[in-house]
Amino acid sequence: MRGIIVCTKVVPKSEDLTFDQETMTLKREGAENQLNEADKNAIEFAVKVRERYGGKVTLLSMGPMLFEPLLKLGIAMGADDAVLLSAREFAGGDSFATSMVLAAGIRKIGDYDLVVLGEESSDGGTGQVPSQVAELLDLPQILYVSKADLGEGKITATRSVRGGHEVAEGSLPALVSVELGVNQPRFPDFRRKRWAETEFKLTVWNASDLGLNPEEIGLKGSYTSVLRLTEFPTPERKREFVEGTDEEKAARIAEILKAQQ
Amino acid sequence: MGEKVHYTTVAIIAGHDPAKLPDQAVEHGAENVIMIRGRNLASYSTDLYTRAISDQIGSRKPDIMLVGATYQGRELAARIAARLRTGLTANAVSLDIDTQGSLVSGVPGYGSKVVAQVACIKNKPQMSTVRPGVFSKQEFPGTNGKIEIVDSDIPDSLDRVRTVSRDVRKTSDIGKAGTVVIGGIGVENSFPMVKEFARKAGAEVGVSRPIADKGLAPRDSQIGSTGYSLKAKVAVVIGVSGAEHFVTGIAGCKTVISVNTDKNAKIFDYSDYCVVADASKILQLLNQGGSK
Ligand SMILES: Cc1cc2nc3c(=O)[nH]c(=O)nc-3n(C[C@H](O)[C@H](O)[C@H](O)COP(=O)(O)OP(=O)(O)OC[C@H]3O[C@@H](n4cnc5c(N)ncnc54)[C@H](O)[C@@H]3O)c2cc1C
Ligand SMILES: Nc1ncnc2c1ncn2[C@@H]1O[C@H](COP(=O)(O)O)[C@@H](O)[C@H]1O
Repeated sequence: MRGIIVCTKVVPKSEDLTFDQETMTLKREGAENQLNEADKNAIEFAVKVRERYGGKVTLLSMGPMLFEPLLKLGIAMGADDAVLLSAREFAGGDSFATSMVLAAGIRKIGDYDLVVLGEESSDGGTGQVPSQVAELLDLPQILYVSKADLGEGKITATRSVRGGHEVAEGSLPALVSVELGVNQPRFPDFRRKRWAETEFKLTVWNASDLGLNPEEIGLKGSYTSVLRLTEFPTPERKREFVEGTDEEKAARIAEILKAQQ
Repeated sequence: MGEKVHYTTVAIIAGHDPAKLPDQAVEHGAENVIMIRGRNLASYSTDLYTRAISDQIGSRKPDIMLVGATYQGRELAARIAARLRTGLTANAVSLDIDTQGSLVSGVPGYGSKVVAQVACIKNKPQMSTVRPGVFSKQEFPGTNGKIEIVDSDIPDSLDRVRTVSRDVRKTSDIGKAGTVVIGGIGVENSFPMVKEFARKAGAEVGVSRPIADKGLAPRDSQIGSTGYSLKAKVAVVIGVSGAEHFVTGIAGCKTVISVNTDKNAKIFDYSDYCVVADASKILQLLNQGGSK
């Protein structure tokens, strides 16, 4: 088994964000950063594959240097190595511009059988990056995967489709996205965490390390543009508390239900 | 939208045996239909469908291309957009055309805390995937449309992923249900009671994401930003905390009744009737109470 590359994103906790009505912007002050939820499932998936088939698990992330401690957390969760793609020119990219950078990072790491991503990120949340990276690297893709077996040059994976599941077989190297919540990401190992924090050295590459044309990445390389933010329209609700005994509450529910149906 | 800018609406379908699909597309408002037909297009394949549809789009150069934001639609659209080097916005909850003729999509972000208005600024087609359930189907019975059949000659060898088995149930369209009873982690251990209550109330069963993750209910009953948006007249939400990723799915319901043991649960901010109680007790009472 050759390498397994896991694309992991660091995202702000969405509970910590507030929408400012006056400036129409999202306030991130004090928002705690975390590994994207689905990417923790992706790391766990990759570590399990390595435990069965060998190979080296490398985390790959695009973002600012402040991602470093969270990538080290990923190392403590069982990854072997981590690469951060960090440069001012990468900022502000849409899913395609982001995919250009990630694809270049994957090419530079090289020697892989599997590229693993999360199904979607909790902030941008387009779920488009996995397919766009696969297209740029000309890889077969199997998305929304929960488990997989590997054989001679092939992967057999269970994926979610509308109404249920399918088992699909693809050739290696391949790209998979892991469905959110399909496994229990392991707790960071204490000794690995210490090692990651003191001795492990994160690899950092910028645009010229990747040989990328600045016109093709970041804000300039994007094909879409955010014009403005608006608050999600939430309807006014009555917010009436139903009082009384459990019996009375149940009766009231039945009554409202009947009246509204 | 097409009417606003005088564009022609064209449905593009890939498959083997078109059956009634092209006619259905016309009845739902397509003026023209392009049916790409090939034996190896009988069922979805990312590699073959991307190739078949990109070839048609690349040569016919439409201004706009919309795809349903389903599992397959999202991967297909993303792959086509990358191949054609054009912009794609995700999971739109609204669509508009601005004064410059650009497509502007309302894209929910941060678990639907915000909606970003996003435009495709370079190249054509301007692409968007559209979240299921946000637009209602219209019917135009008896209208005529031009149906064009294109025979595909894409070789099988391009397909690198093969489906070997399938376990798929027929999906109920929960997005259209009038009454929905939704269970969350608070009723994880009394889920059969949720189902019984729904049956008695003539309601569809919906769930929060973790219930689907645990396999207690199928994925297509999941409500929220990665599931369905409801348009129900009334939803009863039981044992759900009210995370942002969830509440976006009930925003379109007329009346929301919630049951939760925690009087400070966030779900109550999104409810018309708030019931602070142990759901298993309430469900027991409702189920024996002969509420029909
Ligand atoms: C990218 C991303 C996408 C997501 N998409 C979705 C989505 O589409 N849909 C979705 O639902 N979630 C989604 N989530 C997950 C979401 O953030 C929440 O974790 C989830 O909605 C919580 O589910 P819950 O309310 O059932 O469970 P919990 O948050 O655990 O809440 C359980 C609730 O039950 C109450 N309770 C406990 N016991 C009882 C009792 N006996 N009687 C009554 N009440 C009781 C508790 O007070 C609590 O409020 C997504 C998350 C991410 C990161
Ligand atoms: N900046 C990034 N760095 C590393 N991986 C990313 C980045 N953005 C997206 N991804 C990967 O792509 C997946 C889908 O993200 P998205 O398409 O943004 O919803 C995530 O779960 C990650 O695995």
